[in-house]
Amino acid sequence: MNTVLIIDDSDINLTLIKALVLKLGECQPVLHEDPLKALEWCRENVPDLVIVDYMMPGMDGLRFISAFRALHGRNEIPVLMITASDQKDVRYEALLGGANDFLTKPVDRVEFSARVRNMLMLRQGQKFLADRARHLEDLVDERTSEIRDRERELIFRISRAAEFRDPETGAHIQRMAHYSQIIARGLDLEASKLKLILEAAPMHDVGKIGIPDYILLKPGKLTFEEFEVMKGHARLGHELLKDSRSEIMQAGAEVAISHHEKYDGSGYPHGLKGQAIPLFGRIVAVADVFDALTSERPYKKAWPLEDAVRFLEEGRGKHFDPLCVEAFLAGWDAVLDIRRRFQDEEVPMI
Amino acid sequence: MADAFVLNRQNILERLGGDEEIYTMMLDMYLQDLDANCASLSAAIASGQAIEIRREAHTIKGLLATFSDDRGAAAAYVVEQQAKAGDMNGLAAAAATLETRMREVAMVLAAARCPG
Repeated sequence: MNTVLIIDDSDINLTLIKALVLKLGECQPVLHEDPLKALEWCRENVPDLVIVDYMMPGMDGLRFISAFRALHGRNEIPVLMITASDQKDVRYEALLGGANDFLTKPVDRVEFSARVRNMLMLRQGQKFLADRARHLEDLVDERTSEIRDRERELIFRISRAAEFRDPETGAHIQRMAHYSQIIARGLDLEASKLKLILEAAPMHDVGKIGIPDYILLKPGKLTFEEFEVMKGHARLGHELLKDSRSEIMQAGAEVAISHHEKYDGSGYPHGLKGQAIPLFGRIVAVADVFDALTSERPYKKAWPLEDAVRFLEEGRGKHFDPLCVEAFLAGWDAVLDIRRRFQDEEVPMI
Repeated sequence: MADAFVLNRQNILERLGGDEEIYTMMLDMYLQDLDANCASLSAAIASGQAIEIRREAHTIKGLLATFSDDRGAAAAYVVEQQAKAGDMNGLAAAAATLETRMREVAMVLAAARCPG
């Protein structure tokens, strides 16, 4: 059904045009004597065709078209202007002002029907193209979403592969990823970054794949040399991911190489200090350490929460970015919720 | 205006695509709105506002043209153009003549509406 807006201060013209529009079929006429009220109507409604008289009190047809075209999304809607045959100057002005065609008074049904049908076909064409564009957009979104889901699943599984070689669990990567997101949210990062850190954080220890078992799984304390090898996992993770064209993999590479840096410059592998450490690295450092402390491992008991919080607070400005610690503690309720959702026995997908 | 109005039903119907229903509706509306249209023209003349006179003359031009009254529409056009030029000289008389013409058209239409 096409909505045809008719604006004319003359009752007889309104009635005549309405009758002619109804004769066309599939049309719903909307009548307005007052162009200002018609414009108000147009703010809330989108007609498929506008038929407007030229000479009206308050606002003439030219000014109406100009105001109508200025409304958002009304730029391409066909407008027919009704003029007398002697008003050539008005026709020129209307064409320049945004009218698509004219109707001559007195109205002739054959001419009227042909012009209105043409305008409605133009409108149908516009709608068809817009619908198709929207459909294609939806299709692309759907496919992109599928690819992204597969990418996320792949990342999760790669990350778990690394974790399987480690006493840490799959639930650890879920918790630390969500903790990272809580911190990012507390830092007011934009929505796309919140999503990105959730997806990239699980890859922080992916480089452990390249660490020999005798070091990675050693129950006792590592020697200096062994620890040096162990530290290599940060670079290995970065090497593994850095050349990817995927935004998530690139963020993962950044997290892998920077999550053991410390705010005071005493971390590894580069000994970066303060803001020189990538933000995602500073965020993940807090999330990863907190979860490692508060989780039970074969070689250690889980720390009480208050002890872990104290560790973070005491590490402000030394190990950790103070703003990241603050953001983490500010999201404490969410932290507790994540701990409840992702327990070591069960590992749901992110 | 010397020539009396003669209703050319065939011509009007042709323009309306032979639709008797719309034709009858138009006649009814003209008769129904006649007094209001005449009053608006008089009020415009009384106001002395050229823009008002121009607009009312324009409306009447359209109305009379709808009923194929070329003479009446031409007279309305003269008033419209004179008002547009801001020349108020003799407009009141021209408007009175126009009103007479509108009423004359109405009489013919009314007779056509109820031929009995």
